[in-house]
Amino acid sequence: MSGHRITTPGRDFQERSARAVADPQLQHALRNLDRRLRTAEEVAAAHPEWKERAAAIRRETLADLDGWLLRLERALADRGMHVHRAETADDARDIVLDIARAHGARTVVKGKSMATEEIDLGTALEAAGMRAIETDLGEYIVQLAGERPSHMITPAIHKTLPQIRDVLAHEAGHELPVDREALTAWARDRLRIEFLRADLGITGVNFAAADTGTLVLVTNEGNGRYCTTLPRVHIAVMPVEKVVPRLADVAVLLPLLTGHATGQRLSNYVTMLSGPRGAGEVDGPDELHVVFLDNRRRVLLGTKFEDMLACIRCGACLNVCPVYRHVSGHAYDAVYSGPMGKVLTPLLSGGAEGADLPFGSSLCRACNDACPVQIPLADMIVHLRAGTATARRARPAWQAWSRAWASPRSYRATTALARLGARFVPRRLLRGWTATRDLPMPARVPFRTRWDREHS
Amino acid sequence: MIDRFIEELRTNACVVHGPMEIAVARGVIVERARAAGARAACNGDVPLPALVQDLRHAGLDVCTADEGGWSTRLAGADTGITGARIAVADPAAIGLAAAPGSPRATSLVPHTHLCVLRVTDVVPTLADAFAQVVAHGLPSALTWISGPSRTGDLEMILTLGVHGPRTVEVVLLA
Repeated sequence: MSGHRITTPGRDFQERSARAVADPQLQHALRNLDRRLRTAEEVAAAHPEWKERAAAIRRETLADLDGWLLRLERALADRGMHVHRAETADDARDIVLDIARAHGARTVVKGKSMATEEIDLGTALEAAGMRAIETDLGEYIVQLAGERPSHMITPAIHKTLPQIRDVLAHEAGHELPVDREALTAWARDRLRIEFLRADLGITGVNFAAADTGTLVLVTNEGNGRYCTTLPRVHIAVMPVEKVVPRLADVAVLLPLLTGHATGQRLSNYVTMLSGPRGAGEVDGPDELHVVFLDNRRRVLLGTKFEDMLACIRCGACLNVCPVYRHVSGHAYDAVYSGPMGKVLTPLLSGGAEGADLPFGSSLCRACNDACPVQIPLADMIVHLRAGTATARRARPAWQAWSRAWASPRSYRATTALARLGARFVPRRLLRGWTATRDLPMPARVPFRTRWDREHS
Repeated sequence: MIDRFIEELRTNACVVHGPMEIAVARGVIVERARAAGARAACNGDVPLPALVQDLRHAGLDVCTADEGGWSTRLAGADTGITGARIAVADPAAIGLAAAPGSPRATSLVPHTHLCVLRVTDVVPTLADAFAQVVAHGLPSALTWISGPSRTGDLEMILTLGVHGPRTVEVVLLA
């Protein structure tokens, strides 16, 4: 998770959040999130039983992840695909670069993929002298702006239409109107040239069925279809948890993913790839490579964070999160943002990155309710807080509090002290706590005393 | 089931014709293709005999995958005409299978996609559809399409025709 393109400056989550909240254009753009919230809720409410089934499928997969991966690997190979295993982000980049160089690739077209963001593949391809072009409209806008996606489903959610026009007009070298149709048409024509000349297509994977050896890609624009149709070589980067036991399981997970991601009953395109170009076919890649990406995922198996691997990257937890909805993705300064990002960023970096992210949460548990595969995100956020240095420093105080209130006598003594303290301790000593919270005042006469008076 | 299939396709901004007899459908396809432009690309899996002759007879410039210069001619085509292996009613989608003579790009590159489908190929659910395609043998690429290409990337407001076709018309054969 390196090579950051930071777009909201600030040394920590708190400072970046404050800047995000103070940015009027960003706040205006973020109001558009409401459009998605309502439709997603309707779709999710229509089939409440799907969540149970989906959660069960994801847990079945995780219970024997290595076994399912082995079965998937064999099934993909039987269908003529090449499987590579990458332990780390470095390994994955090297595998992709080796394939790209072996084919003399010069222009690479990319479909939207969080996995390739995670390993910062675009930067690696550019550094190796290739042109790597993001082809999802939102991702293309973000790439031209030198930024990174701020939302995993809608990468340019942080930008208003006039800002998007400015980015595209700069690339075009001429004026463009602030008009959705016109901007889309311009991007379509520009990217079509890239699709026709590209020698390598790179995408992620939404699901991979172990029984049939089938890769499932969920898209709306059609750029993902181009990436898997025209270039001679297609590389799919697949985080290991994307495997599902059976293609039949995809029939359950697919509508749940699209319903929670965009409110659609099904995404506009669902591509099921079960091999490279077949004999006698005139399009489709000659070679199809699948890179299994671990990058600290399998070490989560058997831990209290194992459920995080059930995540299907729908973005529902971002859309409902009161923190995300105000600060947007860049404040997290990480590939994954929102509640799932607060959990995944520290885990995938081995604690090296995003240690302060779990603290940027109100623990309202809206993410738990929104998650289509029932990941207890809020509980994981609490677990992650407990593991940090901040929590370790605070631990003696909590332990002392726990001991003090364990007996009636010391409870009375400490609350009496608190009543005195509330009157005489200067406020500024408590600034760390009261900067963002109210300090409740103890009652002048304690409840127990009043109870005794009225009932004696 | 067919009614709900048609209704949801229309909600997704598809144009749906029929169900109709084959003789009527031949005329409708020629008329719709001509309305979209003079050049058409036609897949081999369209369940209508002699469609290519019909189109050429009506003055359209038609290319097929078994002829030379396919990819260049496809890039200039106004309409891509395909069949479908199967379709799902709920959620509504048509399933296109890649095969020799039926390239993947015919339903992707031209601005208009015309898909010809028998009503008997529509099954109720995704689970039914997946079971059936597995039983018949999975193609190298099976593409499910539920409407014209779209994006919500510009302020989360729906915009049609990003990379794929702006117009999708489904002709149902009774």
